[in-house]
Amino acid sequence: MLIKNKILRVSAAIIFMALVFQITPGYSQSGLDLRINEILVHNDSNYVDDYGNRSSWIEIFNSAYNNVNIGGMYLTNDPKNPKKYRIPTGDPLTLISSRNYLVFFADNHPTRGILHLNFTFEDTNYIALYDVNGRTLIDEVNIPPQVPDITYGRAIDGSEEWIQLEKTTPNANNYTGAIVTAGEKFVVLDPYGIGLALTAMSVVFTGLLLLYLVFKNTRRIYAINLRKIFSRSEKIISSISEDKDISGEVNAAIAMALHLYQAEYHDHEEAVLTIKKVARTYSPWSSKIYTLRRSPR
Amino acid sequence: MELLSFIADNLNQFFSYTAFANVTAGHLIMIAIGLIFIYLAIAKEYEPLLLVPIGFGILVGNVAFTPGLQIGIYESGSVLNYLYFGVLKGIYPPLIFLGIGAMTDFSALISNPKLMLIGAAAQLGIFGAYAIALLLGFSPSEAGAIGIIGGADGPTAIFLSSKLAPDLMGAIAISAYSYMALVPVIQPPVMRLLTTPKERLIRMRPPRSVSKLEKVLFPIIGMLLTTFIVPSGLPLLGMLFFGNLLKESGVTKRLADTAKGPLIDIVTILIGLTVGASTQATSFLTAKSVGIFTLGAVSFVIATSGGVLFVKFFNLFLKEGNKINPLIGNSGVSAVPDSARVSQVVGLEYDKTNHLLMHAMGPNVAGVIGSAVAAGILLGFLS
Repeated sequence: MLIKNKILRVSAAIIFMALVFQITPGYSQSGLDLRINEILVHNDSNYVDDYGNRSSWIEIFNSAYNNVNIGGMYLTNDPKNPKKYRIPTGDPLTLISSRNYLVFFADNHPTRGILHLNFTFEDTNYIALYDVNGRTLIDEVNIPPQVPDITYGRAIDGSEEWIQLEKTTPNANNYTGAIVTAGEKFVVLDPYGIGLALTAMSVVFTGLLLLYLVFKNTRRIYAINLRKIFSRSEKIISSISEDKDISGEVNAAIAMALHLYQAEYHDHEEAVLTIKKVARTYSPWSSKIYTLRRSPR
Repeated sequence: MELLSFIADNLNQFFSYTAFANVTAGHLIMIAIGLIFIYLAIAKEYEPLLLVPIGFGILVGNVAFTPGLQIGIYESGSVLNYLYFGVLKGIYPPLIFLGIGAMTDFSALISNPKLMLIGAAAQLGIFGAYAIALLLGFSPSEAGAIGIIGGADGPTAIFLSSKLAPDLMGAIAISAYSYMALVPVIQPPVMRLLTTPKERLIRMRPPRSVSKLEKVLFPIIGMLLTTFIVPSGLPLLGMLFFGNLLKESGVTKRLADTAKGPLIDIVTILIGLTVGASTQATSFLTAKSVGIFTLGAVSFVIATSGGVLFVKFFNLFLKEGNKINPLIGNSGVSAVPDSARVSQVVGLEYDKTNHLLMHAMGPNVAGVIGSAVAAGILLGFLS
């Protein structure tokens, strides 16, 4: 009964852990990491396309730390038609390198190249990116009313917060302020390194302390006889106490003795007289009777 | 006449390409340092597997030449530059860790797991050196990369400095390996200073025998636990424990033999030579390098003190008979097996029958894990 309860508890813990991990967002390192990052709806005096025209544009950001090919995916301004514009495959332009960008022009001129979409933002305020199957939604944005030449984008590349950006940044980082590295922040808050030392030493200790605790108890864990548990026996073999252990030194001595015995090595025994019996077995081949010439009579 | 003038011009031009025309005092100083390394390795047998390649690399890196001929280690497209790629991108250190894992026996640690904590305490040298480097005006990233010298782990130092402060990597690597070679010189005075005669005579319980299952479980659990806490240490810790699993599983002997034999030898040659060659006088002989060398020595002293003092503190909570000899505290710095050997030698000075080597191997290999974890933390916090 007790064992059953234990098994139930362990199972519940595993299910709970699985649920926790399920709700924690992960990183896919794939096309699912692409994000619609910045949009300009009314382009009066802003970014010019490769034909010298000004039109609405959408910037896609690869938030992954690997290259992602956007070819074969779909961009649409119609929620009912996810496959409105299929981004052509096999073009080097569609490969977006890690933490980089690609700008599409919503000018309804798809004949001008793969970056020119077959729709505009005149009659819609919606943009979405779908995966190659045309069913998996990767990202979508409902665009609020826009001001000419001011872009609507994520405050920091790939982040959740959308704002009217101070600067238009096609193919560039949305955040244009000074970027302070983690190290620089640390030195401002912790100029003498004491905070880092304490934190880091705590983490090192925690890591090795966990290992210590695990290996202190490992033998107890695997000393449990699982067969007995599953055969519903109530008795569990108790853990091996340290007193009953044979020390490594004893093992080494036994191993050495066996090695010496099997290899027929002899101990070096100083001042010990060894009386060795010299035995000669009789053979007619070595007998003096037959090998010595008989003396002439 | 015209021919002679032509030949003279060409000879003149040829001379301008030679090292004689380009050599500076800095190059000569570095060549002298390289020769000292080679001397120490061959005559004194201080870490010869490291100091011979590094020493010769210093000679290679300090033959003066005219830039633009794709010769130097920093010139894109040169052969040395290609070989240096493995250092710059942190490829070689994890491969070395694979080999270290395949040749390390963690039995001493498994049989007495509390020794792991000594390996953690000795990492104090890393963070002590970090704090002092900040005071001396190094940037946080540079201070972190310099601090790792105190971990006494060459591959880790190279790995971290390639990420945090690539410009200082040559000086940091040379400093780390130099002090690792000097462990028998640096550590004993600190150990004697911080221990009492009575403490030096403590006899430790012999380690128990460790089952194969424990040995197989150790790399698996060790990898999962440490990298779940510090994922940034994954390249080093993952490879270290993987190498150990190859060894302990008993079914991958060929792979383990390759990892601890030809593979680690090849990578050691490449890393030693290229790190040595990266010390071109023009980029190496700076005030920063001098500071790094000074901090390296300080960090080793702090690390040794941290380990020894921690054992003394830990002993306050241990029963008589279970106490730890503080002379193994120094071996928490991960210079395997040199610092454990120092424990043994110093221990034998005070008691000819008290062999501490096997006990010291526990914190020694824990130090390898600890320094890799510490590198992961620094990388996570400062990059």
